[in-house]
Amino acid sequence: MKRGYIYAVLITAAMDGACKKPYSPVIKSGGVRYLVVEGVINPGSDSTIITLSRTVKLSSKSASDPELHAQVTVESDQSAEYPLLEIGGGKYASPGLNLDNSREYRLKIKTADGKEYASDLVPVKITPPIDSVGYKVLRDSLEIYANAHDPTGNTKYYRWDYDETWRFHALYDSQFISNGHVLEYRTADQEIFFCFKSDTSADIVLGTSNKLSQDVIYQNPIVLIRGTSEKVELEYSILVRQYALTKDAYDYWQNIKKNTEQIGSIFDAQPSEATGNIHCTSNPSVPVLGYISVCTVPSKRIFITKQDLPDSWQPIYPYTCGTDTLKGQGRIQDNLITLPPQFITVGPVGDYFNPTGWVGTDRECADCTIRGDLKPPAFWIYK
Amino acid sequence: MIFKLAAAQDQNKPISVDFHEAKIADVVADLEAKTGYHFYYSPAQFDSLKVTVQATDKTIENVLDMAFHGTTYHYTIVQQNIFLTKGRQVYNELAVGFFHESAVNNDLEKQPTTAVDYTSEKEKKVAEATTENKLYTIGIRTNNIKSGTATLAGYVKDIKTGEPIIGASIYDPVTKAGIATDQFGYYSLTMPRGKHTLYIKGLGMKDTRRLIILYSDGKLNIEMQEQVTSLKEVQISAEKVANVRSVQMGVNKLDIRSIKQIPTAFGEADVLKVVLTLPGVQTVGEATTGFNVRGGSADQNLILLNDATIYNPSHFFGFFSAFDPDIVKDIELYKSTIPEKYGGRLSSVLDVTDRDGNTKKFTGTAGIGLLTSRLNIEGPIIKDKTSFIFGGRTTYSDWLLHLLPDAYKHSSASFYDLNLGITSQINDKNTIYLMGYMSNDNFRLNSDTTYAYSNKNANIKWKHNYNNKLYSVFMTGIDHYDYSIASTANPVNGYKLDFGINQYNLKGDFNYYPNTKHTIDFGFSSIYYKMNPGNEQPDGSKSLVIPQVVAQEQALESAIYLGDKYDITSDLSVSAGIRYSLYAYLGPQTVDHYAPNLPKQAVNILDSTTYKQNQVINVYQGPEIRLSARYTLSDDLSLKAAYNSMRQYIHLLSNTTAISPTDTYKLSDPNIKPQLGQQISLGIYKNAKANTIETSVEVYYKTISNYLDYRSGATLLLNQHIEQDVINTKGKAYGVEFLLRKTAGKLNGWLSYTYSRTYLQQNDPFAGELINNGDWYPANYDKPNDFNFNGNYRFSHRFSISLDVTYSTGRPITLPIAKYEYGGSERVYYSDRKAYRIPDYFRTDFSMNIEGNHKIHQLTHNSWSIGVYNLTGRANAYSTFFQEQGGVINGYQLSIFAKPIPFINYNIRF
Repeated sequence: MKRGYIYAVLITAAMDGACKKPYSPVIKSGGVRYLVVEGVINPGSDSTIITLSRTVKLSSKSASDPELHAQVTVESDQSAEYPLLEIGGGKYASPGLNLDNSREYRLKIKTADGKEYASDLVPVKITPPIDSVGYKVLRDSLEIYANAHDPTGNTKYYRWDYDETWRFHALYDSQFISNGHVLEYRTADQEIFFCFKSDTSADIVLGTSNKLSQDVIYQNPIVLIRGTSEKVELEYSILVRQYALTKDAYDYWQNIKKNTEQIGSIFDAQPSEATGNIHCTSNPSVPVLGYISVCTVPSKRIFITKQDLPDSWQPIYPYTCGTDTLKGQGRIQDNLITLPPQFITVGPVGDYFNPTGWVGTDRECADCTIRGDLKPPAFWIYK
Repeated sequence: MIFKLAAAQDQNKPISVDFHEAKIADVVADLEAKTGYHFYYSPAQFDSLKVTVQATDKTIENVLDMAFHGTTYHYTIVQQNIFLTKGRQVYNELAVGFFHESAVNNDLEKQPTTAVDYTSEKEKKVAEATTENKLYTIGIRTNNIKSGTATLAGYVKDIKTGEPIIGASIYDPVTKAGIATDQFGYYSLTMPRGKHTLYIKGLGMKDTRRLIILYSDGKLNIEMQEQVTSLKEVQISAEKVANVRSVQMGVNKLDIRSIKQIPTAFGEADVLKVVLTLPGVQTVGEATTGFNVRGGSADQNLILLNDATIYNPSHFFGFFSAFDPDIVKDIELYKSTIPEKYGGRLSSVLDVTDRDGNTKKFTGTAGIGLLTSRLNIEGPIIKDKTSFIFGGRTTYSDWLLHLLPDAYKHSSASFYDLNLGITSQINDKNTIYLMGYMSNDNFRLNSDTTYAYSNKNANIKWKHNYNNKLYSVFMTGIDHYDYSIASTANPVNGYKLDFGINQYNLKGDFNYYPNTKHTIDFGFSSIYYKMNPGNEQPDGSKSLVIPQVVAQEQALESAIYLGDKYDITSDLSVSAGIRYSLYAYLGPQTVDHYAPNLPKQAVNILDSTTYKQNQVINVYQGPEIRLSARYTLSDDLSLKAAYNSMRQYIHLLSNTTAISPTDTYKLSDPNIKPQLGQQISLGIYKNAKANTIETSVEVYYKTISNYLDYRSGATLLLNQHIEQDVINTKGKAYGVEFLLRKTAGKLNGWLSYTYSRTYLQQNDPFAGELINNGDWYPANYDKPNDFNFNGNYRFSHRFSISLDVTYSTGRPITLPIAKYEYGGSERVYYSDRKAYRIPDYFRTDFSMNIEGNHKIHQLTHNSWSIGVYNLTGRANAYSTFFQEQGGVINGYQLSIFAKPIPFINYNIRF
């Protein structure tokens, strides 16, 4: 038995290594620039925003190459046209289109190089409202989920995306600020300890009730947040948007998800490319990426505060810095008062009102504004 | 003799020697140093002697016996002195000491008349007394032996265990009549009446011979002794000659002893991993279930365990094969010449045969490894008549999973397998064989979803000998495979999905030996399939899952066959066979009809027909040709050619890289045609060094039609219209295989190199989407260069080392050619299929096998196997992929065993 144990340990040592290594192959045919069309035609009173871009080389630093100066139009099956205006960065927008829900619509694009593109005609889907957004506290993470149902049973295929906003704080609370001559106590509007930060969804979130006897989505996971994340150290808010998809659109999104998110384990399917519903009418052999859906986009926001979450969850600060105690006029002048200061003053040494020196730390550990905003977003509600 | 007795107390010290072409002076110096004896001899007489002896823990007498066996040299031991002499003469000119005449003469008289054997005295006596020198009278004795021929038949068995010996050759060098025993150890030999000496050779067995007088047809059962030692470097066995002399091509046979020498990841002998080292056999990656033979897909292999079809031959995601190494006797892989009696799969037949139980006494083995433990018991139920063998294996492997890549973390798994075999020889004419097999796997792969799968097989065989020239084997049995997937983590979505297939078999095989020139086999087989392709049910009271059932499928696959092996001359043999298979897809079933010349899509369904129970829906039938020929250029050189055609009616549906435990099967129906394959191959075979070295070169060209590939985003499980998601493709494969194999001696093993290509094509515009614009594209398992080395070196009977080297070209993959932003993060765009390859594969494994002492009469025999898998620690890419993480795309390569893995295994035999 003892021997078995010894070898078990040996194996542990041997196998405890990264089995997943970075891989960057040399890919020969990297010159393609296919048009990518992303967005949803909103048939309701909300605005419609379509983003056009081009594919880039795999080795390229930036992931996106915006397509500028194109003409983008929504067209009904009765040839009614609704032009979209370029708003920069490859985005084309229109305020609420208020379309006739009984008709079908397509997107037409004429790019600056004169090529024409069109999507298939797509029926209007009225997305049912999100019943609720809730959360589950798991062992070491927080799962946000959504519930929805469609009493008419017509939706069946759902997609969600979300915006997250959270309040966080810097590692150290800086109580002093330099005006170039002396260190002064910070006033309330000079505080840089608490900030707000936002992010948008990166993963594709899909759900379907097509196997169920009712069109019900029950606790479909939206996002999983680690307990050690700064997102959940104080207050957290998430706005979840819901999209109703056709089966075709669902398959398209599922394929992208499989190709880029659910890949790499032993039994995952091999990547394969699905074609969307947009075509280059000038040259049908040119691939066009993206899928245009026509649907309303209901949304729901919830707030979660630290009080609702386990005390044992402690955030891991993304930076590590020490503190340095500075005494003597010369050092204090050089490091804390000169603008910009080398360190940020955290607090006094000695008497609070007559300090004999100061404690300083690196900027990234005391200034939350390098990553966030001091001002709360308009929707923010302090609890 | 007296003197030898006097010196006996000093001889008790055993010695170990290793001489290779040594001069007598060196031999004497070594022995004097090791024993304390003093040697006396004439250098002039011994100058032409070169001694090659390798021995461990032998007495001085044994060593000298070995050294001088087959020469005219002799030795005499007198007290502390040893006298070496040449011929029968005693030489006086020896410088010192004295001679005792009688001692010398006694020793000379003791010179053995038959082959010298160094096994224990007791065993040797049994063998010699009963067999080799006795004259056996066969048939009804007459005064004058009639002219003409008579037929001799019987079984060749292991004298110790009563097990039949397969592939043993019985050969008369004078009349050149010869035959090999079949899978029951049975032989039938027609030869001229009269007196003959038959030489019997079997793999792993000591060669023996029988003196017979053949008066008329009769029986002779032959018992052979196991080759306990392999001291003599030259052994000629039937197997080795078979390579050149048999008509078959592309057949590899390995006994469990060779299998056990090959190091595996966790130290446990693995039948399937060894198959992968054979030329022409490839895999998509380590730790996967399937293997690919000569460009065939994994489901084109018929895997048989004692004639039972095993649908899933692996445990634990493919880390282990489902065959218990303590029970398996040998394996045979048919890649080219597939015997007529086999059918139903395109590429190969892997025939795994378990041992028969010991008919003489109870024995068993037990093995303890890091991941599994095994136990096997066997023995007689009725001595010499009925025996059983039972084997079981289970795992405690969860700890391993937590060390594996992330894909396996938070997983748990367990498995077991059970084997039972009963053999009963009712009388001379009738034997009954019963087998039962069950394997079971349960695992939870990284989530709340649990998986389980199981093979269950049972069959009974009845072998009946009508006369010496004809016998038959009837078999009936059932093969079952099922799996289930369940998840209840989300109460609303809780489900349980079942898949199952039952295969009811009935077959009869006849073997007829009309004369020395012909061996005829014929028979029939019938398989009734009943398959549940998928049944999903809600699990839990809150579940809203709608029960979803893909209709059960039924089919009857029948075949008749006839084959004849005809020795036209002693140099030219031809084996010609035909198998006619008839497949009927049966009701109840509803079948959709699609508009002709349009893709099979929902919009193109014209109508559908519902068929009643057992109504024939449609029939596929056709002949399968099995032809091969051998022309012998010289005793150790032959040319062979073969042509084969095959039909396959059952298809595995899988679009993952490896075969996953949840892949589903589909029977051919009006919309899914059977797969057809043809293969032509040529080969040249040459043996060298008294048949201890086998070399062969085989080339093949193969075509496959109606091979199934999948549309992008195909759903395979619970698909009510699977024909809409699959695409018929064509395949072609060609290659050349080189094999060098050394089967005997201290150094044994094989070296193989294969160059092969496998391509698929989908160029039918009516079938829907073209793959790769209708051009040929490499199959997933197309790995052009494949090199394997398996070597074993025996330092002594108790210690050997094995080294295993594998190299192959990386398999083709589809890589992205561009990236773009979509859905909040970077995405990649994939281009043509299989345009790139993952990095080449290279691996070296090493193991040491240490056996306890070889005293035959002790309670238990122990052995250890210690080694390292992936010695160089190369991180071989299992797959490469591009994954979005935090909005950014990164390329990764996944390795399963990225570091050297040491292992240890302890075996005990009782």
